[in-house]
Amino acid sequence: MEKKNKKKTGGIIGFMRDFTYGMATHGMARHALKTRSSMEHLFILITMGDMLGIPILPPYYSLRLLPHVVPQITTWKRRMLREKDFMDSMY
Amino acid sequence: MSLADFFKRYPNRRYIMYGGKGGLGKTTFSAATAYYLAKKGKRVLVFSVDPQASLSDIFEQDIFGKGNVTIIENLLACEVDADRRIQDYQEEIRQRIISMYGMKKIPEEIESYIKASSAEPAMEESAIFDAVVDIVVKGDFDYYIYDLVPLGHALYYLSMASIYDAWLEKITKLREQMREYDKAIATMKREESQEDEIYNELMYIKDRIGRSSKIMTDTEKTAFFFVLTPEEMTIVDTEKAAQLFAKYNVPLSGYLVNRVLDRELLKDNIPLYLKNRIEMQSRALDMINQKFGSSVLSTVPEFDSEIKGLDVIRNLAEVMFEEKLP
Repeated sequence: MEKKNKKKTGGIIGFMRDFTYGMATHGMARHALKTRSSMEHLFILITMGDMLGIPILPPYYSLRLLPHVVPQITTWKRRMLREKDFMDSMY
Repeated sequence: MSLADFFKRYPNRRYIMYGGKGGLGKTTFSAATAYYLAKKGKRVLVFSVDPQASLSDIFEQDIFGKGNVTIIENLLACEVDADRRIQDYQEEIRQRIISMYGMKKIPEEIESYIKASSAEPAMEESAIFDAVVDIVVKGDFDYYIYDLVPLGHALYYLSMASIYDAWLEKITKLREQMREYDKAIATMKREESQEDEIYNELMYIKDRIGRSSKIMTDTEKTAFFFVLTPEEMTIVDTEKAAQLFAKYNVPLSGYLVNRVLDRELLKDNIPLYLKNRIEMQSRALDMINQKFGSSVLSTVPEFDSEIKGLDVIRNLAEVMFEEKLP
């Protein structure tokens, strides 16, 4: 709640702050987020790879990690099993 | 040195393990050692993770999957039901997923992954050694006597633990890198970065694996004894196994020879079959002496009855420790 109020009362300063963020760091943040999500997928591959038929060594403990990656499993599978990433052609 | 001397001289060795080929008397020796130490006033837990556990048979009491059961004063016994433990663990994971995301049902692909995991190699070993950590961490016993399943099992786990370790090292590093990115993103967006629960899980796993392999390799607290019988093949196998265990830094503390026939019998008029066996055994005993010499802590004769029930266990303990018990 408090955060929201701050944003509202930010007025011109808040606008300036958001503006500079948009100009300067938004691209960087986006890039960082993208890298971060690739890493996330790599991480799931290493820990849950046997879901795709890649044998992974310790099943007992990797099961502990499973709850934490449940929401990402579907996108991860799609990404891993896709033959070619259409984003590849953009770079 | 005798077996009794060993326990006197090394009171800090609280994790006692008997290893050896199947059927040589590991469980009976575990039971007798537990009995002896309990009679000496120590609080002792003897436990087994063998699915065909025989502590129940030896103590003539059904203890399988029933937690710590009191046998006599100071002596408790426990047989871990590994299958049930795996099932409970899987259920716990399901519940965690359901409560974390407020789901009604586990998504199918996740469910099939959980189901398939119980068929994975090493699942059982990991579950067993994890159970052992639980037992040892929460207990308040003076001695833990671990009735190992045949040799391969323990070796397999130890080698696995070192692979686990390397694996964890790698993914922890990756996770730390990801954490750096999280922090950077949070700063850029001027948000609070959140704690990484996966990282915490990894730390937990690392700790558990460290503890479980430490139980078997702790040079100050663990004593590992090999049980063998006077037969050439067993001796050769035991020697090989001992070398492997030494490679994984298991503190080998001595050898116990079981099922030795009494040479006195030769004076009587005995059948040729028995005579030949006694002579075979004396050749094997020479070999044992040559290979293991003073590391042989106790020599136990072949009993004329099955080792079952507390009376026979007491007899066995008295012979093993060369001491009369009350």
